[in-house]
Formats: sequence, structure tokens, C-alpha cells
Amino acid sequence: MTVKRITFVQELLAFMGLEGRLHLEWISSAEAQKFVRVITDFTEKIRMLGPNPLAAFSETRNASGLKIAAGLRKRHQNQPLRMQATHCL
Amino acid sequence: MIAKVKRWLEEGTVDLFIGYKMVMGHPLPYCFVKDKIEAVNDLIVGTSRYALEKIATHISAARPDIKIGMLARDCNQRALSVLFIWNQLNPEQIRTVNVNCCPSNLKEHGDCSYLEPQTAGLFKQQVGVNNTDRPEDLEKYDQPERLSRWMYEFQKCIKCYGCRNICPVCFCRECSLEHPELVATGTLPPDIPIFHLVRAVHMAGRCIDCGLCEDACPVDIPLRLLYRKVNEIVVNVFDYETGSNAAQSPFSILGDQVTLEPKPLQAIEN
Amino acid sequence: MEVKFIPSICSYCGTGCGVLFEVIDGKINSTLPMKTHPVNAGKLCIKGWNLHEHVNSFMRLKQPLVKTFGRFIKTDWDEAIRLTADRFREIIEKYGPDAVGILVSAKITNEENYLAQKFARAVIGTNNVDHCARL
Repeated sequence: MTVKRITFVQELLAFMGLEGRLHLEWISSAEAQKFVRVITDFTEKIRMLGPNPLAAFSETRNASGLKIAAGLRKRHQNQPLRMQATHCL
Repeated sequence: MIAKVKRWLEEGTVDLFIGYKMVMGHPLPYCFVKDKIEAVNDLIVGTSRYALEKIATHISAARPDIKIGMLARDCNQRALSVLFIWNQLNPEQIRTVNVNCCPSNLKEHGDCSYLEPQTAGLFKQQVGVNNTDRPEDLEKYDQPERLSRWMYEFQKCIKCYGCRNICPVCFCRECSLEHPELVATGTLPPDIPIFHLVRAVHMAGRCIDCGLCEDACPVDIPLRLLYRKVNEIVVNVFDYETGSNAAQSPFSILGDQVTLEPKPLQAIEN
Repeated sequence: MEVKFIPSICSYCGTGCGVLFEVIDGKINSTLPMKTHPVNAGKLCIKGWNLHEHVNSFMRLKQPLVKTFGRFIKTDWDEAIRLTADRFREIIEKYGPDAVGILVSAKITNEENYLAQKFARAVIGTNNVDHCARL
């Protein structure tokens, strides 16, 4: 049952672009060695995936205040974005 | 259809019937009763879709013993079967006049984004997610691009709760999206992507793909696509098809290995 | 058991989105957007979704209240208007007409807005007229 739920969340995150950040492992409290090994491996895996992409979204903003990732932003620097700010009425 | 409704009202099979009527040039939901039975002549199927089953839940909450008839499109029927499963409506109190429009483009249908897809604008195609894609179509983007496209869509959210308010199967009295300790108040956009993913997960097993959420979203976030993917995952992983069978309980996914009876203590006999 | 669906216009900002009130037994139960309305096409902001709470709220003012000795006392309209007029007159005599400012709003009609600025300019004698959208 837990496996199904974790699989569900993993697939949803993969659909969203956050793949491979959730891992399920069954470890008894007596298997300390295995616990250490699993945690170290997973930490390495996460480190190789790079910094948290969601943190990057609070940094990049273009002129209109909309956040677009750095890669896609380059394609749009030539196109002016016209937006009208409507004040609260 | 009009004759059938009139007969139901006269015989007392239903106390009131919820359908559509043209009011000042707009097809709006209307409640037909026996006292004004001539009004049933104006009953139309209408091209706009409203969540009539949600209105039925409000009426049942106010008067549980009243019998309600309603005009039910396919999406309404699926929503009704989900509401029956979750005990929000009593199946004996509801009678439906069925109108089928899914999945046809030929018959007269409601304003459904599945049957009348809108093309996305140029900018949205370049940085966002197209509302009319199917979940498999998003495979062509790799992971970082997928994330940035979805984040572009989500950070337009103005936290209007329209998707939650209009959803026919959303019935929680204390919605966790309104909980002050789970969702920060006073900031826009809300904590993305968590806000929408929480809603998506809460909709697993309940969303019947009616599309009213996407119709109600003021910034056109492709919610229908997201919840369709969630439903696909539920079908693949849990083997449970939402809305298809009114007798199917979500507790059936626990399987045979789980029993809730206490097991008797067994004496150690080795 | 009477269920009615009353179309109306949202009373908050100047956009004027079409809403549909679900009225059960004479009480507004919930608010829905009107899908075929040309202004909003079935979409509402959070203020529009909660119009029914505004109407049914226990905090709604139903009578004019006058603050006397630090507490609000209920009164009637004649008394309230007379008191307001007297205080305005005192302030204008003491500090001049420019001590008074009028704020108009998008929630009231254009005709009422015109009346408010006419009141400010002709009756009170000041140009201090502004609008909530400028805030």
C-alpha cells in the first residue's frame, strides 16, 4: 500500500519535472549499516542532481514580474513584453 | 424530455427538478417545481455547464429527505457516482435525465474544453503548458524544461479558490488549502508548486474530468491536464477508475491482506 | 423548499463580473460565476466567490452607530445625519473648507460619484476629491 502511494507521488513529481527526489526503503532499527549506506547513497544522488530548482525561481524575474527559468528566458529577451498593470478598482 | 419531467413532478417521483432555462438571454440553472409546472415548457439542455450535483448536495444538506431530479450530462453522471460512493448524496433521492455528449463532437454538447479545444497563444506555447495537450504529449520536454513550464503556469495563480469552489466532488468542510498553518496567507502566488500538487493529490480518486476547474480558472492554468495525469496514475498504480461504478468503494484498493478484525491471541505451542 | 438562481453583478471592484446566487429558502447559500456573461465568462476572483459571506455576515452594519464616550451606540438615520452635518459645519468654520476631503469609490454608481464631487465642490467648497483606485 505504501509502495503504491510512493509510486504515485514519484510519478506525479516526474510529470512535474522533479524526478528522482523521492526514495522508499524499508529498514529495521537493527540494520544500522544499511541505513547509513542508503542515506549516503541518496545524498550523493541528490547532490548530483544539482541545487534545488525551485530556489532558482525566486531569483529570476523579467521586467513584467513573471518568473521564467534562465534557459527559456534567453529566447525571449528580444521580444518585448507588453503588459498593463491594472490597479485595484 | 419535457413530458418526462412533467410526469415526474406530477407523480411526486421528484419534489424538484434542476435543469436549465433561458433567463435574460443566458442559460442558467433553474429549479422546476410542481406548483409552477408550466415553466417546464422552457426547460432546455443549454450550452453552458454548471455543477448541478454540487447544488444538489447543498439542497440535500438543508433538507435530507427531499427528492431531487436533475439534468445530467456524462460528467454530471460521473460526479454523481463519486458523490454516492463518498456518502454525500443518497442514490435513492436522486433521479436523472441523462444527456450524453462525451466523447462526441457531433452531438450538441456543452462548453467543454475537451470537445472545443482552444489553441494556446504564442507566448504560452513557448514557455508554458498547452491546456489541450494530453499527458503523453509532455514527454517531449526533459525534466528541467518541464519544471520551468509548469512553474510558469503555476505562478500565475491568484489563489481565488475557483477550482476548489466549483469542483462538484470537492466537499470537505475544512479544506486543507485554507488551513492557516499549511498555506501561507497574504502572499501571491501561493507556495507553488505545492499548492497545486496538494490539490492534485487530494483529487486522486475523486476527479472525474469534468473540466469545470479549468473553466473557472481566471489565468488558464492547465488543471484538467494535471488531474488527467493524476487519474492515469491512479488507474495504473491502484487499478481504480474514478466515477465509473457507483458501487466501487475506494477501500477496495486496500486488498485482501488487510483485515480490520482483531486477530485472536495464539498460545505459544512450539 | 424554494431554490432560486438569481443572476447579478459582483459589487466589489469596477469590473462588474456576472455572478449567480444560489438562494435556498430565501437565504443566499453560495455564489457561482455566470458562464455566459461577457465580462468574466465563468471566472471569478476570490472576492467574487465570497459575496454570499458578505451578505450573511453577522458583522454587517444594520443601523447607524454613534461613538459616544468611547463606545458605539445605535441610533437612527435622522440623528446620524444631523450629527454629521453639525460636525462638518464646526470643522469648516474652524479650519476652513479645505480641511475636508471626499473619497469616492468604484463600488458606487457613476451618478453617486458625481453627486459626491458636486457636494464637495458646491456645498463644502473644496477641491479635495479623490478615488479609491488611486490608493
